[in-house]
Order: sequence, then C-alpha cells, then structure tokens
Amino acid sequence: MEAVKVNNLVKKFKIPHLRRDTVREGFVNIFNRPRYEVFNAVDDLSFSLEEGGFLGVIGKNGSGKSTLLKILAGVYEPSSGEVSTVGRVAPFLELGVGFNSELSGRDNVYLSGTILGLTKREIAEKYDKIVEFAELERFMDQQLKNYSSGMYVRLAFAIAMQSDADIFLLDEVLAVGDKDFQDKCYAKFMNLKKNAKTVVYVTHNLDSVKDFCDSVLYMKDGKMEGMGSSEEMINLYLS
Amino acid sequence: MKKRTNNWHLLWVIALTDFKMRYHGSVLGYLWSLLKPLLLFLVLYVVFSVLMRWDVENYQLHLLLGIILWNFFAESTSAGVHSLLSKASIIKKVYFPRYLVVLASTVSAFITLLLNLFVFLLIYLFSGMSFDLTMLLFFVILLLLYFLSVGASLFLSVLQVRYRDVSQIWDVLLQAGFFLAPVIYPLSIVPENYWKYLYLNPITGIIEYSRDVLINHQIPDLSGTLYLFLFVVAILLFGSFIFKKLVKSIAEKI
Repeated sequence: MEAVKVNNLVKKFKIPHLRRDTVREGFVNIFNRPRYEVFNAVDDLSFSLEEGGFLGVIGKNGSGKSTLLKILAGVYEPSSGEVSTVGRVAPFLELGVGFNSELSGRDNVYLSGTILGLTKREIAEKYDKIVEFAELERFMDQQLKNYSSGMYVRLAFAIAMQSDADIFLLDEVLAVGDKDFQDKCYAKFMNLKKNAKTVVYVTHNLDSVKDFCDSVLYMKDGKMEGMGSSEEMINLYLS
Repeated sequence: MKKRTNNWHLLWVIALTDFKMRYHGSVLGYLWSLLKPLLLFLVLYVVFSVLMRWDVENYQLHLLLGIILWNFFAESTSAGVHSLLSKASIIKKVYFPRYLVVLASTVSAFITLLLNLFVFLLIYLFSGMSFDLTMLLFFVILLLLYFLSVGASLFLSVLQVRYRDVSQIWDVLLQAGFFLAPVIYPLSIVPENYWKYLYLNPITGIIEYSRDVLINHQIPDLSGTLYLFLFVVAILLFGSFIFKKLVKSIAEKI
C-alpha cells in the first residue's frame, strides 16, 4: 500500500520586491500593487512511497527538499496538486519543537511531546525511556536554559523518537551529538526500518543515505531530477 | 493527513504554560494576577470614592466588578492579537489546528478571571451581600464575554500577522474603551439619552448586566441582552470567517 502519494505538487512563493507590513503602506499602495516574483520552490513533483519504505531526499540547498517536507507535514498548503498520507505523521523538521528554556527538562518533555502529537498517557508511559535514552537522569528537574547544547539535542531527539506514528518526516536531525550518541540515533533509525515505519529523510549526509534508504529522490530546482536506488542517485548527484 | 488525537490536551498544555510563564521568576508569582486588578481597584477607589464622592450604593463592588471584567477582555484580546506570532516557532514546524493557540491565549486569561472573581466573591460577602437565584444569570454573561473575546482574538490574530500595527491600533482602542464603557463609573451618572450609544459597545452591556444580576439583584433588560447575544454571534462568525480565510498561508507569512 502507498503510504505517501504526491501528485503534480506545486508550491509557489511570492517574493515581493518590497514587503508591505503596515496598514498605512497597505492603504497608500492599494492601487499600486506590489511587484513580486513568483518562485516555484516545488515544481510539478510526483512520486509515491510504499508503506515501510525509507526514502532519502537529496539535492543542493534551495532545491525544495525542506519545502516538500513541510507540505507533507501539513505546515504549508500546496499551491496546486495533491498530497496524501496514510496514518499518523510525525514531523521532525527541527529538534526541540516547542521547547521553553525557562521550564525544567521534565516539563519540556510533556510540552514538546504534546506539540508533536503524543497524548498525555503516551508521554507518561514513555517518560522513563526518554530520560534513559537521553542520558539525563540527573538533570530532569533543571531548567532547560542550563542545559548544554548536547544535552538539549539529546533530550529533543529522545522525545522525537518515542512517537508511535506511522510516517516519520526527518530533516537533517542527525547532524548533531557526539559519536556515541550518533551511533544510538542510527540504531534507532535501524529500528524504525525494522518496524516497517515509513520514513522520508532529508539530508546532505550521503553516507547515511547509503546506509538506510531503500530509494532516493534527487531534487533540483524544485523538480525531480531522478528517483531510484541510493547508489545510482548519489552518483548522479555527485557527477 | 492531518489527524491529531490530542487537540484538547494540546490546547490545555499551551494555555497552562502561558499562564505559568507570565509571572515566572517573580517572587509573588501567581499572586500578581490577583494583585494587579486589586491595586488598580485601590487607586481608582481612592480617586473616585474619596476625592470625587460619587454617591452610589456599593460603589466598591460596582468598580471592582467592572475592572475585573474589563481586565479579562483587555488581557485576553491583547494576548490574542499576538497569539499566532508568539507561537511562530511551532507553527512553522508542526501542523495542528491553528485556532488552538488563539483559544489557548483566551483560556489562560480566563484562568486569571476566575481567580479574580473568587476575590470579588470574598469582598462581596464582606460587604454584607446575599445570594439569590438571579445571580445564576451571571454565568450566561460570562459565557458571552468569553466568546466575544474569542471572536475578536480570532480576526485580530490573523490580521496581526499581515499588518504588524494591528496590535498598536488595538492598544489605543482598548484605552478608549476603558473610558467609553462604564468600568470606573456607574452608568447612572451618565445622562440617560446617551445610554443607547454606550450600549452599542458590547462591553457596556456585559458590565452593566453583571452589576444588575450580582449587585442590584435585577433581571437585565431583555432586548439589550438579545442585542448582546446577536453581537457576540456576529463577532464569532466574522472572526472565524476571516481566520479561516487568512490562516491557510500563515506558516509562510509569519
């Protein structure tokens, strides 16, 4: 069954030459419409991903990878075309979504977990696992602002990985942490793969693409440049 | 694709976090949400009762009730104006129904309102007032006040994303509203032929009818209450309409 299906997806952004943000400017220039360029961040993209597939998305900066992920997550509305996903989607476009630096680590687990779509009971059940995975047993009652950046990232990743969603949207989340923690994260990724979760993984790290992805989507200027095995696409990308 | 199962829980968590963060780090903490209206009450009471000598029975209750209700409207809508912008970081990263953050800002102000009403109740009893059944109507008025704030917050919040000076304009309107609605003065000191203009402002009705049912033990004017009800429904519909229209592209504009 197809877990993710994208049909002729287009996302246009208007780039005004001068941004009008105040009411006065809005009124004064009411007859003098702003000139803007239309920029197609995602341009007529179609692909589908089977349930349990691990799709890597690669491409240069500005090729539309993150925009695609945001549309899949429901953050952006498509300008045209269709996107359908089956099951619960867990978007990890950034680590530590909703974190509040004034609150304790414990409170942040509940806050961020809720924002990511976990129910109160799910968080309570998984709380110990999260703390253990993040290796922060002694620091959970400390305010987040006193965490080192490594501790912050570990906590964020631990929360994200507890999600029971069917589809995971991952944006460069592995770019952080020390060697040990990275290994742990990779193990977690392997777990997702083993449990037949559907994953869309946007990254610049080609080694991890080789390790995990069954198929790879190579994007260029918002369009699909190619889709196929990781080997093939990485060679195409590097050539 | 946008199935989420924990929306009400999310609403509650955001509202509670906002409420906690408001006085976070201050020594008196939550007490501030009681102290602020009480101190304002004290200042105004001294000015208007002792210096100006208005001869109104139970003026202290009229004044306190007016301040508490006005305070809720002002606080919830000012928080509402900024509600979408202040949650920009999560709006850009996660999908959830956007109206939740607007509702959360009004819920967090509503918690303050309930705390303040508790203080009002103490002073009420201390002033030797007694309970009767008409007081139950106050809950209907509270509901109208709450949804008035929600409706206003809905369109203010999306407009604020588009035009950043909406909050400035709203501040000025609130300043004016404080004096145009009978917050500090009882309506009875205004010449009667001006009343109909003052009642156009829904807050006038909300404050006066609350005073009727709680302090004067009277059933409020029926046609006035009907006007209030229709006004609130209209604001809610208008707010939801504008919100729905503009919220689609919110993640890009914020």
